[in-house]
Amino acid sequence: MNSNLSRRDMLRLVGVGAGALGLGGLAACAPSADGPEEDKATSATDFSFASWSLADNASKAKIEQLMSGYGSKAGVTVKGLPLAYNNYLNQLTLQVRGGQFTGAAQMDIAWLAGLAALGKLRDLGDVAKNAGYTEAALSSGQVEGKQVGLPWTTAAIGLIANRDLMQKAGITSAPTTIADFETALRALKGTGVIPYAASTKVAQLKDILIWMQTFGSPLLEGDKVTVGDDASIEAVTWYKKLYDEKLIAPDVERVDARTLFAQGKTAMYDDAIVGRDFVVKGSPDKSIADKLDPIARPVKNAGDKPRAVQWGHAVVVVEGEGANTATDFAKWLTSDEQTVLGYFKDLSLPPTTTAALASEQVKTDAFTSQFSERITATATPNPFWKYPQYAQMETAISEHVQAVLVGKSKPADAMREAGQAVQALIK
Amino acid sequence: MSTKTARPGTTGRVPASRPAGDRPPRRLGDGAFAALLMLPGLAMLAAIVVYPLVASMVTAFFEQSLVEPGRRFVGLQNITELLGGDFWRLLWQTLVFTVGATIAPFLVGLALALALNTRIRGRAALRGLLLIPWLVPSVVVSFLWMWIFNANYGLANGALEALGLIDSPQAWLAGSGTAMTAVIVAKTWASFPWIMVMLLAGLQTVPVELHEAAETDGAGAVQRFFAVTLPHLRGIIGIVLLLEQIWNFQHFDLIYVMTGGGPAGATETFATAVYETAFQGFDLGRAGALGLLWMVLLLVMVAIYVRRSEREGQL
Repeated sequence: MNSNLSRRDMLRLVGVGAGALGLGGLAACAPSADGPEEDKATSATDFSFASWSLADNASKAKIEQLMSGYGSKAGVTVKGLPLAYNNYLNQLTLQVRGGQFTGAAQMDIAWLAGLAALGKLRDLGDVAKNAGYTEAALSSGQVEGKQVGLPWTTAAIGLIANRDLMQKAGITSAPTTIADFETALRALKGTGVIPYAASTKVAQLKDILIWMQTFGSPLLEGDKVTVGDDASIEAVTWYKKLYDEKLIAPDVERVDARTLFAQGKTAMYDDAIVGRDFVVKGSPDKSIADKLDPIARPVKNAGDKPRAVQWGHAVVVVEGEGANTATDFAKWLTSDEQTVLGYFKDLSLPPTTTAALASEQVKTDAFTSQFSERITATATPNPFWKYPQYAQMETAISEHVQAVLVGKSKPADAMREAGQAVQALIK
Repeated sequence: MSTKTARPGTTGRVPASRPAGDRPPRRLGDGAFAALLMLPGLAMLAAIVVYPLVASMVTAFFEQSLVEPGRRFVGLQNITELLGGDFWRLLWQTLVFTVGATIAPFLVGLALALALNTRIRGRAALRGLLLIPWLVPSVVVSFLWMWIFNANYGLANGALEALGLIDSPQAWLAGSGTAMTAVIVAKTWASFPWIMVMLLAGLQTVPVELHEAAETDGAGAVQRFFAVTLPHLRGIIGIVLLLEQIWNFQHFDLIYVMTGGGPAGATETFATAVYETAFQGFDLGRAGALGLLWMVLLLVMVAIYVRRSEREGQL
């Protein structure tokens, strides 16, 4: 190769390089079509699957097995995109908005409105028909009547207690009122454990919302935010009291709570049904599964209906390359009986189809039955979920509650400001 | 560059004949040629630095969401709202972090550099070992210190309780009075090796004769440090402190991973606030305004650095 290049040669090369760069830039800047790009392929094509379960050690292997199982069946490659739960929504939003992600994605039912607002989710209404989902499950995947997600698992978030630790503290039955609950927490504190590993970090302080509802705040009436009303202030004042009395602990979010519970260092914490798998796999106590006791959330006044917030995962399909195959994958993943029962067996996540729910395997699972009876039975969706700005609303409330916990703000001031901040997000 | 040398790839001879009417090839000056060579690099710079920078500055004048289409021109509204709101709190907290995370590692680095500049045993091994914190990725450092400072199972509480210094576990990262200190401690651990190496390099250029002469004149170790060592290190200390300040002023990962800017915004700095506003709050206009104000402050620091570097002849 002759390395003696003349200036003229160099200029030619610069010209070619600049031209290539320009063409590349133009290609990158080219406007996309008005609507989402359709997947024109009639045969199966490779696609991506975004999932926070892929980023969790407890569930990663199972999800990978499901992906490869479908891949072998359909003759395609399912490329996993693992994203941690706490950053999942904003990372996925950025990728979908920038056109960098197409395919299927696991979604918390709380986030559906936010992602749907981008206008890139496929309407799965026709796919959901005759797939055997229960009506309640189907509604968890809808935004303004449009089926944007296929329900994968549905249940609720509730209190899970360690039966052994409760008995050691002399608590023989689950507390049913707030007053009983406080008494139980004080008894537990005397045994040297963290009585209740409630969320105190912003990432999961959304759990306070269900306590606000327990104290009687509707959170939302029409489009009017009621955070800041007497009930919400009372709830936060009570939470602060638990914090100051060390009945709940600082520096705790869901992952910390699960770890503390698995190690027998706390007697109670809030979790979805999925928590059982994390706790059992992460505990040095081989018999911890037998000690798990899902309990109904205490009520303010005896006779009130216990509150619980719905919880669930759906699978959405982002339009674009591979979307048709991703749709087929989403349906298979969430409704194929053998697949969903295998998922239930390995990760304890209840299925969403009538046939699978009626199977012996699900009906005879004691923890699932108890969780369904005591917690899921009275669960309702969070009223803020319908807004695309839900994530910001949740953060605004959580930050104000945290300010109360660390003594930087008074409950009444904080809740009034939180209510105003959330109201401002509703347009 | 010599203009008499034949250009590579040519014979250096003038063509014997040229068809009538043909103009001789236009000669390109060295400056223009150099500019053309830089063109691809400049184009890349424009695409990946200048364009995003300008675009985000322009965003500061719009109301724009990350998830909703369209945007609305609002003039200086985003900036005036910030100046009348969170800006001063963020500036103060950013300055607290910047000064703390600059001074603390500097003092640790200086002390260790002085120690390693003496003839202690195992000096070479210690120099290597003390560099380890600097080699650990920042996110790993963040998780490490997050676990050390955890209120419920952290090493710090265990150690301090064992030593009898505290009675019960402290919520280092969840207390608004302790969270910033905890973050600065973690940053100090990550930063001191670099400062130590820089200062050690400077210390090794201090002429031994000066110390010997001062010692002959009766100067003790402390006097020699202030009269000989410190003046000699003045230039490098200035640059190290200024660079650390600039880096800390824009530091993000350690704060974000350890506290997320909390509790209740107690460790929130410009860097974490811009991220939170844009990618959690989805408010691009406000994030752009915050970034614009932050950049102006950063440019002042960079200008000082450039002037100082020129004065020290290090550019």
